[in-house]
Amino acid sequence: MDFFVQIIVSGLTFGSMYALAAVGLALVWGAFNMLNMSHGIIMTLGAYFALLWAELLGWPLILAAPFSLVCGGLVGAIVYFLSAHWMIKQKNFEVTIIIATFGLGMAIESGLLKFLREMFRTAPYSQPLSLGAKSFLIFDVPVSYQRLVIWTAAFVLITIVGIFLRRTSVGRAIRATAQDRNAARLMGVPVRRVYVLVLAIASGLAAVSGIMLSSFKDVHPLMGGDPMLKAFIVIVLAGLGNITGALYAALLVGLVEASVKVLLADKYGFTAILILVILALIWKPSGIFGRATVARQ
Amino acid sequence: MKRRDYIIFAVLLGLAIAYPWINPPRYLLASVLLMFCYATVVSQWNLVFGLAGIFSLGQVAIFASGSYITAILGRYLEWSLWYTFPVAGVGGVFFSLLIGLACLRLRGIYVALLTLAVSQMMFILIQTDAMCSALNKKVNPATCVSFTGGAQGLGDFGSFGWRDVFGGRNWIIGDYYTMLVLLVIALIFTFIVTNSRIGLAFMALRDNEELARSRGISQFKYQLLVFAMSAFLTAVAGSFYAAHFGSVGTDLMGFALLLFLISMLVVGGIGRPWGPLLGAFLLMAADEVFKEASDWRNVGLGIVVLIFMVFLPEGLAGALDKLWNRGIQLVTGRLQSGGTRADGE
Repeated sequence: MDFFVQIIVSGLTFGSMYALAAVGLALVWGAFNMLNMSHGIIMTLGAYFALLWAELLGWPLILAAPFSLVCGGLVGAIVYFLSAHWMIKQKNFEVTIIIATFGLGMAIESGLLKFLREMFRTAPYSQPLSLGAKSFLIFDVPVSYQRLVIWTAAFVLITIVGIFLRRTSVGRAIRATAQDRNAARLMGVPVRRVYVLVLAIASGLAAVSGIMLSSFKDVHPLMGGDPMLKAFIVIVLAGLGNITGALYAALLVGLVEASVKVLLADKYGFTAILILVILALIWKPSGIFGRATVARQ
Repeated sequence: MKRRDYIIFAVLLGLAIAYPWINPPRYLLASVLLMFCYATVVSQWNLVFGLAGIFSLGQVAIFASGSYITAILGRYLEWSLWYTFPVAGVGGVFFSLLIGLACLRLRGIYVALLTLAVSQMMFILIQTDAMCSALNKKVNPATCVSFTGGAQGLGDFGSFGWRDVFGGRNWIIGDYYTMLVLLVIALIFTFIVTNSRIGLAFMALRDNEELARSRGISQFKYQLLVFAMSAFLTAVAGSFYAAHFGSVGTDLMGFALLLFLISMLVVGGIGRPWGPLLGAFLLMAADEVFKEASDWRNVGLGIVVLIFMVFLPEGLAGALDKLWNRGIQLVTGRLQSGGTRADGE
């Protein structure tokens, strides 16, 4: 029973962090077929924004997360105007944008490393938003309040995004663009603005996901790379562009990772989900929640 | 390929052969040698990515597998490294076939993500491998590392052996020419493949898969073929890399090398015959420049890649081709039909 609770608790925690990162990725892919390889560095930046707000500027903790969300959104918009904006008409946009954002992410990451080395000397920081080890028990398994906060935050944010997409006119414009870019444009949807907005939303979510992540590990310039890969795995598993699918797949990946970590060993966690996605892709090339048509071109 | 290309090839080869005789500084010789190695890998990658249009990121993993096979055979079985090269090549081919099989039903982006996952998995498995292996105890009982060397990497497995032939100082010239031979073989190989029926099949599948398949070109056969063909020399380049440096480590599978190599492909021009060479040269040169400010190296490289993707998505070879065509137009005063892109479009 203890094992079981432990797996569920830690699986849900990882799952909700991946979900926040993956929903954004899925949203962006859905809107204009862009895979943002700088997503990971935006997660890292999110954690740093919170750190900057709370630690260096000493402003109230409770507002650090919204600050980081907004800053993350801004970074997303900047990424758009540095790369996708100029490239969207290219013939191989799907491929070239990956390489371009890969380069951009690398540049930001190395710049951040360099900058921090000069500014702070010591690179790893602990996240001020972390609630520490305070916990309560479920079946003799200690569950920290931190996890409760993470679950709630992820749930609330994803619900807000869901309502935004379903109920508002801007959300409708985003969904229309995702369905058919040209038809949306003909109906008067300003698609370029939709792209910026979508990338900003996704990056804001990524920034918050980064804060959550940093409450378990130290804040470090390289911390976003690994979770970004996992978020990619999640959206590939779900079928690219499938937002609801990404949510379920994120939880699935979190649970699988947690069970392997609990039952086998820590180091096999990532390997296990990689094997999971490889097998799933061979079995269903367009993702487990993807449409039946065989793989997109 | 036209007469122009043969002339370029001959001139470049002459320059490369003559280069060690002008007594360049040792580190420059080593950089050029490394450039040959990378250019070999990128030229093979160009077959998969440029010619067959399969966006695989697994090339770096194959490169790493080649160097690890050489390191393991040389260290534990004490083989002469020259025997390990063909074994590494064949091992790389099998590994690549496995990747190709896994990617068979996938298209576009999905291939990139799956191959990235495979190479990342390899990285993590080796990086976290800390179990002390009995084999290593025999080699060096004091410091016990795992079978694959884990995060520390593997060393002590020998070299090309040019030190005995050329003496203590000139062994690097031996390494230089060995790598040059590999690069020349790789370039000739890609040239032959590009201009063969197989190359035509790759391009047909790339440009219009449905049509190609309906004309009887088996996607199964040719996709596996391109994965296998491009893997052999990539893996051998990996083992040459290991033999030159005398050590292998997990950085061979890391993001940094992946970015560096894909930048070469992109900056040179994807699918262009001269792309890999141009790209390798430019990025190694840029690397030398940025080395002065070592911390800014990756920042600079990242920005170079971004700029190329935004402004010159066809790479330098593509831009030069356009210029060449325009020049010919000016000289002859008539319109050239089509481009000079050797792989057609």
